Amino acid sequence: MDVQAFSDQIADALSDVNRRVQRSLVVVHNGRQGAGAGVVWRQDGYIVTNHHVVAEHRGPFTRRAAASSHSVTLPDGRDLPARVIAKEPELDLALLQIDAQGLAPALVADSRGLQVGQMVLAVGHPWGQVGVVTAGIVSGLGSAETGQPPRKVPIIRSDVVLAPGNSGGPLVNAAGGVVGINTMIVGGDLGVAIPSHMVEAFVERALRGAGEVAV
Amino acid sequence: MSNEPNPLTALSEAMAEAVAKAGAATVMVNARRRFPASGIAYAADLVLTADHVVERDDDISVVLPDGSQLKATVAGRDPGSDLAVLRLERGAASAAQPAPQDPRVGQLALSLGRPTEEGIQASLGIVSAIGGPVRTGRGGLLDRYLRTDAIPYPGFSGGPLVDSAGRVIGVNTSGLARGASLAIPVGLAWQIADTLAKHGHVRRGFLGVRSQPVTIPSTQQKALGREQSSGLLLVGVEENSPAEAGGLLVGDIIVAISGQPVTDADQLLASLVGDVVGKPVPVQVLRGGQPTVIQVTIGERKE
Repeated sequence: MDVQAFSDQIADALSDVNRRVQRSLVVVHNGRQGAGAGVVWRQDGYIVTNHHVVAEHRGPFTRRAAASSHSVTLPDGRDLPARVIAKEPELDLALLQIDAQGLAPALVADSRGLQVGQMVLAVGHPWGQVGVVTAGIVSGLGSAETGQPPRKVPIIRSDVVLAPGNSGGPLVNAAGGVVGINTMIVGGDLGVAIPSHMVEAFVERALRGAGEVAV
Repeated sequence: MSNEPNPLTALSEAMAEAVAKAGAATVMVNARRRFPASGIAYAADLVLTADHVVERDDDISVVLPDGSQLKATVAGRDPGSDLAVLRLERGAASAAQPAPQDPRVGQLALSLGRPTEEGIQASLGIVSAIGGPVRTGRGGLLDRYLRTDAIPYPGFSGGPLVDSAGRVIGVNTSGLARGASLAIPVGLAWQIADTLAKHGHVRRGFLGVRSQPVTIPSTQQKALGREQSSGLLLVGVEENSPAEAGGLLVGDIIVAISGQPVTDADQLLASLVGDVVGKPVPVQVLRGGQPTVIQVTIGERKE
């Protein structure tokens, strides 16, 4: 086997995937120190991120007034204010809306077809560095108990290295499809992601709910 | 961006296949108080696992990949290499396939475990180092060990380290070295498993000598007919021991056993494991500077 050629092909494929993913990757600011990641879910301004990225902090050292102002930095550099239109803390998911059209939505893959051993990439902003890619495999398809009262939530475990700033960012497969949203609801520095089919259902619920309010 | 197969998706699918193949022979082992650990189906009715995760001798169960739970008994243990073999109540497991080639540093390696009933778990890395012989913290001597950078998740001990085709290259254990996850190479592990399944324990040879490594002067190396800069000087020979019966004397320098050069105590221990117990073997010594071969019938070490 020509290792150099193989390595080049892998690198080409990886940069294709990365280019695709970065087009739908945003930085989510919450008025506090640190930032999270988010994924453009629809071209008309809907963005998925982690609930804990936009949650109000009740610690003694945070100004609550500041905590309620959210903004999103798009891949083209624009900074836009964002509204939280839905949140589900037990899934650690939040849906944001910005006033923008024609965004590049993420290619969403069906997480129900995932297999342990498949390659996955996490893209986010670990420790504030924007657009960092880390690679690994699907380590396990299981569940975690979150929320009060506890509820069993399906999760994807991976051996991808994550750090603060990866929260809310996409976990993508080798074809660049989003299979999950990285989160830190459970377990250390090892990757846990909410499967994309759960995210799709959340977004659907949220938009139906938002529609009813508007009527 | 298309969904056409590319080298990345091909690699991804190959790894998932390897996990599925090896996962079919990776079982859950319930034999300790804390969460369960993993094991490898070594034959239809035999499971190889880590000795340290088998904390009890009764009430052991094994859960197969299809979810069926089987009772198991301890067929044999070797704390020295941290391996144990469990016998299932019936032959229902599909056996793992060992890799035909020796592992190489740098090759892809997948670490597998099944510590829960939620399915197989895996992490990716490479073979980081091949070392040995090493004395283990549990009083044994491991001829060879593998180190990997694949994450050892909780409960992975006893599970397989596999190559990119899903063939076993080692047995994972966190019980041999403090804070490090090692794998026992499949050749060695299968050999020990064979012995455990047959005899229940690993037979370790006994000579009955105390020794220390010494430098062999160049004139004596010449007499030996090979370049060997050290050997083991006998400073004690136990009474009624195999060494005494064979005629070894204080002052002899052991330089080879069964034709294999012996330069330190680890090599001496390694030469006394397995089938040599109870058999006469040629021990080459330097006596008065001259090479001499003495037949010694190796005894068995009682733990």
